[in-house]
This record gives sequence, structure tokens and C-alpha cells, in this order.
Amino acid sequence: MRKEVPLVITFVVAIIVMLSAITTGPIPGTSIAISDLFRQHISPWMTIVSAFAVGLASVNLLRVHTRAIARKRNDWIYSVILIVTLAIYAGFRTYVELNLSNATAAANYALIFNNILTPLSAAMWALLAFYVASASYRAFRARSAEATVLLISAIVVMLGAAPVGALIWSRFPDVQRWLLEVPNMTGQRGILIGAAIGGFVTSLRVLLGMERGHLGSAD
Amino acid sequence: MDFLKKLQNVDRRIIYLLFVLALAIPLIRPIGIPLQISPATRAVYNIIESLDPATDVVLLSFEYAPGSGIDIHAIPVTVVEHLMKRGLRWVGVSFSPEGPLMMNMIIDDLESRGYKYGEDFVNLGYMAGEENAIRLFSLDTSVFTTDSRGNSVASLPIMQGISTVKDFAFVHGFTSSDLGIAGWLRQAVDPLGIDYAVGVVTVSVPSATPYYNSGQLKGLLGGLRGAAEYELLIETPGLGASMMDAQSMGHLLILGFILLGNLSYLFGKKK
Repeated sequence: MRKEVPLVITFVVAIIVMLSAITTGPIPGTSIAISDLFRQHISPWMTIVSAFAVGLASVNLLRVHTRAIARKRNDWIYSVILIVTLAIYAGFRTYVELNLSNATAAANYALIFNNILTPLSAAMWALLAFYVASASYRAFRARSAEATVLLISAIVVMLGAAPVGALIWSRFPDVQRWLLEVPNMTGQRGILIGAAIGGFVTSLRVLLGMERGHLGSAD
Repeated sequence: MDFLKKLQNVDRRIIYLLFVLALAIPLIRPIGIPLQISPATRAVYNIIESLDPATDVVLLSFEYAPGSGIDIHAIPVTVVEHLMKRGLRWVGVSFSPEGPLMMNMIIDDLESRGYKYGEDFVNLGYMAGEENAIRLFSLDTSVFTTDSRGNSVASLPIMQGISTVKDFAFVHGFTSSDLGIAGWLRQAVDPLGIDYAVGVVTVSVPSATPYYNSGQLKGLLGGLRGAAEYELLIETPGLGASMMDAQSMGHLLILGFILLGNLSYLFGKKK
């Protein structure tokens, strides 16, 4: 029963979702359309389950880090900081959500977001540029014919993307656009179509109960 | 060849220092390198220019976090500036948790300039569920019963006459993930036939280009460069334009590193 019930639920829900996209009008003998069934019942449930998944992730995070603190693992002090930050931030946000008309609370929450989270996240993102600069010197080398093609393409795309490229040669932006719109697009479309077919086949296997890995082990 | 050996093992702190200088100097003393405007950027501008301020409402979807905001935030800033210049009203929504807060940064500026919340624009907030939430909202906008400030959405003047995403004259997304590209296309753009353009982080431009060329995306703004091009089109230079010289110098320096690294590698190998 632990496997059969989830399989039946998956099958029924998936059939409703698929039919909702390709059928119109009510189900024969009833006044309910499948698209309404999807919109009014299935879709809101999916949103609720997604929201719970976020909560579940927080619980998992707490378990991992409380265990690290209890066992005094290396750098356990960072786990303390993470849990305290999580509690303060989540608690503050919950208060703001429950008191949406309280402009002062919302403004104070925005202060944390705008002045702590935003610059820290931006700094993390910006650090990538330094790694790229260092890697471009040490790792980006013409070691083979394929690597040389990649190297030349990267140089042209970089020069086409930066305004200075057009100053060096006015056709750099055109060549960059060609690289993006012909070889890149051909490759991207191949990957997209391949992934879509793969996704469809996997979905069909899950829907028909042939793929059961997501249900966990029998024990 | 000691020199070649030394060149291959340059201290990374020297590379970092040169990179800081290449970025900082043009920010302090701008060079003013001219910028070409791409057709994908101009397409977004033309769509917004064609809208009627008396009847049309635009939907903006914010799907990015503060980290990627450094590359993408200038895009919604300049698109919103264009909408306000034209007197167009807009509704903001988000299917990523940080989106409403990024939107609020723009809204705070608009309110300080006298624009009215609820009449000129509104922030509906965040809905969990990613693609499913996009589908749900697209079919019925009343799934948001209250906005991000707790106001009843049905009572807001800007929301009058809007019940599905098809009631918006144009939809523009801002995204750092696939959700704002393929997610919107799968759940709303293709099934409902709406006009949709997107602003993406620079690294997503290659993966978004096929959708622009197929016509599914009506316009495409790529990172800071896309923002800078748009700022030039609306004749309001801002964050994007101010960073273009630094970006150019950064690219040139990386190019120099690549050439130098390869020269030392090739000559070192021959020896």
C-alpha cells in the first residue's frame, strides 16, 4: 500500500494536468471542465506543497547544523551563526507578513535586506570576476585543436559583448551575434530538444509506475 | 628561460590588483566608449513605445536575488523608468522569494518622486510553486488576494479590469534562472499567446537567444550591457551606462591575461 497509493495519486493527478491542457468543455455527464478541476483543485495544492517543501528544507538545515553543534565538529561556530541568523530573519519576516500594514516593521526588515544581505550577496557574485581573471591566465590555454576553437570563440564573444570591441574592429559585434545565433543556437536547440524528449519519457515512466525511485526503498 | 617560468607562475595577487585597477579607474574617470544598440534591446523599447498609457497595463515579473542583482537590477530600473516616462501603469509579481524585495527598491525611489502606489504601480508579492504558480496566476490573477502591503488586490484601482495575464498589454520578466525564460514560455506565453520579453543575467544570454530568434521572446535584454543600451535609448544614463567602461577594461585585461598565459605556455613548451 505504501507504494500503490502514491502511484495511483500520481497517475490520477498527472492525467488531469495533461488533459487540462488539451481538452475544452465539461466532462460528459457533468458540468465540470477538466481545466477548471486543474485550476481550482490541483494547482493550488501544488503551490501549498511547494511552500511546505521550503519549510521542510529549513527543518533539514536545522537538523544538520544542530547535530554539528552537538558533536562540536570543525567550524561548529558557523553552524551557531547560521541557526541564529535563520531564526532572527525567519522570525522577523513572519512578523512582517502577519502585520503587513505595519510600515515600520517592513521598513526595518528592508534595512536588513538592503544593507546586509544585498551587499554581501553582490560581493560573493563579484568575486567570481577575480576567479575568472585568474583562471583566464592559468587555465584557458590552447592545448588542443578543440581548446583553440573554444579560445578564439570566447575572445570574439568577449570583444563583441564589451563596447571596446567595436572600437578595435567594427565587425566584432556582428561576428559575436553570428556566433550566438548560429553555432550556439544550433547546439542549444539540440540540447533543449534532447532534454525535453528525455523529460517527457521520464515523466511517462513515472506516470505509468515504471519509475519508482522517488518512492524510496521498500523498507 | 627563467622569465617564461616566472610568467607562468605569477602571484595571483598581482592579477587581482591589476583587475581592481582596470575596473576602478574607468569608474572614477569614465572614458565614454560608444555603445552599439542590439536589435533585441530595441525590440523591447519599440513594444513599450507602442503601448497606450490610457488603456494598457504592463506586468513585470521579478525572478532574481540580490547576488545576481549586481548584473541584472539595472534592467528593471531602466525599463520601469521608460514605463513611468510614458505614463504607463505596471503590476509587479514574483515567483522567487527575494523578488518582491528587489522590486521594493525600485518602488521606494518611485514613491519618493511622487508616483502613487496602487494607481501607477503595485507589488503583488511572492507566490511559491515556481512554474505551477506562474500557470495559476496566468489563468486567474485573483489568486493574489492581498498585495505585499496587505491591501485587498480587488480594491486597487490599477487592478480593475484585470482577471488573467491576457489582460496585460505586455509582460516583461527579469530573471537569473531558467524559471523566467522557459518557465514563463511553457506555462503562459505559448499556451496563452501573450507578448513576453525578458531581461537576463549576462551568462544566460546564450541559452535565451534561441527563444528570441524563434519569436517566443519579443525582446531580450542581457545583463548590464542590455541595461546600458536601454538607458541610451530612453536618454537616461544610469547604473548600466556608468559601468560599461569598467566592463570594457575588465574584458580587455582578461584578454591580455589569456594571450600572455598562452604565449608563456607555448614558448615554455618549445623550450
